[in-house]
Amino acid sequence: MTGFAAVYRREVLSLWVTPLAWVLLTVFLLIQGMSFFTIVLHLSNAAQLAVDAGPIQSWFGQSIFLVLALLVLCPGVTMRVLAEERKSGTIEALLTAPVTPAAVVLGKYLATLTTYVAMWAPTLLYVVILRNTGQVDWPVVGASYLGVLGTGAGYLAVGVLASSMTESQLVALVMTALVLLGLLILGIGEYVFEPDSILREVCATVSVLSKMEEMSRGVVDLRRLVFDSTLVALPLFMAVRVVESWRWG
Amino acid sequence: MIVAEELTKDYGTVVAVRSLSFQVGRGEVVGFLGPNGAGKSTTLRMLAGFLGPTSGRARINGFDVLDDSIRARRSLGYMPESSPLYGELRVREYLEFRAALKQVPGRERRRAVDRALSLAAVADMAEVLVRHLSKGYRQRVGLADALVASPPLLILDEPTAGLDPNQIREVRKLVRALAEEHTLLLSTHILPEVESVCSRALVIHRGRLVAQGTLDELRAQRRARSVQLVVRAAAGRAKSLLERVEGAAAVRERALEGGELVRLVVDAVSGVDAGELAERALLALHEASVPVREARPVTATLEDVFAELTGAEREAAA
Repeated sequence: MTGFAAVYRREVLSLWVTPLAWVLLTVFLLIQGMSFFTIVLHLSNAAQLAVDAGPIQSWFGQSIFLVLALLVLCPGVTMRVLAEERKSGTIEALLTAPVTPAAVVLGKYLATLTTYVAMWAPTLLYVVILRNTGQVDWPVVGASYLGVLGTGAGYLAVGVLASSMTESQLVALVMTALVLLGLLILGIGEYVFEPDSILREVCATVSVLSKMEEMSRGVVDLRRLVFDSTLVALPLFMAVRVVESWRWG
Repeated sequence: MIVAEELTKDYGTVVAVRSLSFQVGRGEVVGFLGPNGAGKSTTLRMLAGFLGPTSGRARINGFDVLDDSIRARRSLGYMPESSPLYGELRVREYLEFRAALKQVPGRERRRAVDRALSLAAVADMAEVLVRHLSKGYRQRVGLADALVASPPLLILDEPTAGLDPNQIREVRKLVRALAEEHTLLLSTHILPEVESVCSRALVIHRGRLVAQGTLDELRAQRRARSVQLVVRAAAGRAKSLLERVEGAAAVRERALEGGELVRLVVDAVSGVDAGELAERALLALHEASVPVREARPVTATLEDVFAELTGAEREAAA
C-alpha cells in the first residue's frame, strides 16, 4: 500500500480547491434542506403522530429526495478521480512513482468518501434543531446515518470504477448515475413481483428505499450491511484491475 | 544502471518497439535519439514502469521493472514528455505531494522540496499555481519532480520539447549540471542536444536500435566513404580515370564554370577509408597530369549519421 497516504491527501486537497465539491455541496444541502423543511412543516400541521413517524424517520426513510440527491452527488464526486488523470496525462507521473494500483484506487476512493462524509456533516444541524425543540431518538439517528454512510460508500465505489473505465468525466458521471438508477429501479421491484417469489426477495435485499426506511426506524439488518460492503469491495477490486490493465494498453 | 533485454512493445495495430537491447552504466549520460514516432517514449515508459513490455525485460538499478516494480521505480526520477502536472496545486504543494509519494520521510520532505526547487531554478515560483506557469516553468517543475527524491537515475523524455531557444539553453545547462551527480538517459530528436550534453547515444528507428556508441564512435562508424574533388579536365576524362582507382565505387560528376572545372564525388567501396581513397585518387590524377584544385574526404556530421542510419532503415523496410 505504498503511496496511499500521499494519494489520499492530494485527492482531498484537489477535490476541495476546485469549485466542483462546493457546487455539489451547495446543491446537495439545498435539496436536503428543502426536503427537511417540507417534512417538518408537514408534521407540525399533523394532528396526531404515530410513534415511529418523527421528522428524522420521514427525512431519512420516506423521502425519495434523499436517494435522488445521492444519485447526483456520488457520481459528481467520483467522476473526475481517475478519468481526469488519464485525460490530462498526470496518470503517467502518478503511476511511475513508487505506488501500487491498489494504493491509488483506495486513496482516491477514501478521499471521495471523506468528502461525502464532510458533505453530510452540516445536516447534523437539523438534528441539533430537533433536539432543541423536542426529543431525539439517538439510536434512530445513528442507524439512519449508518444507512446513509453505507449507501454512499457503495455508490462512490461504483463511481470510482466508472471513472477508471473512461477518460471522459461526463461519461463516468452518466455511467455511474445509470448504474445507480438501475439499482434503485431494481429495488422498486419489491412492489412489483408477487409476494414470496425469489425475485421479490432479491429486489427487497438490494432496495435502497427499503433499506433507508428500515434504518430510519433504527433497524440495522446485517444483510443490508453485507450488501453495502459488497457494493464497496467488488467495484473497487475491479477498479484496481482496470488500473493495472492500463500498462498493457 | 539500466539493462534492457529484447524489449518489445506491440500495441496490436503497430509494433512500437522491437527487440531493443541496451545498457546504461552508472554515471553515464546517454542520449536516446530517433525521429518522431521511433518508439522513444514507449521505451522510456516501459523503463519507468508505466507500460509493460509485450516481451523482453528490463532492470533498473538491478530491479526488474515488472517483478520488482516498486523498488525499480524508487531508483529513478522520470520526467514524462510535456510534463503533465496538477494545475490546481501550487508548485510547492505539488512537489510535497510528489516527495511523499516517493517516500521521502516527512521530516526531510521540506528540505528535499527546497533542494529540488533550487536545483531546477523554480524557487521563485514555489507559491504559484501550476496552471499559471509558462511551458518552460512547467518543464522545470517536471524536472524538480524527477529530482525531489534524489534518485540515482534520471530518465527525461524530450526535456526541451516545446521550449523557446532561451529556455532550451537553460534546460540544457541544467541537464549538464545534473549529469555530474546522476546517471541520465534523455530522449530527443534534436541532434545538437545530444552533442551538447551526452557522452554516448543510442539511435533508434522504427522501434529498432540502429546504432549505439560514443559520439565519436558513431561518427567513425559511419565515416564518410566518399571524396570530393574539383579538377580542371574535360568532362568524362577525370571520371573515367577515377573509376579505375582501386577502392572507388561510383563516381558522379558535374561540370562547373562553363566546362573548365569539374566537381566529382567518388564513393568508396565498403571497408575502404575515405582518406586512403583520396590519396589514391590524387596519385592517379597526378600521373595523368590533371590539375586538382580541391580535394577532401567528406566527414560525416552526426546529422549525416542520423540521416543515414534512419534513412537506410527506411529503405530496408520499403
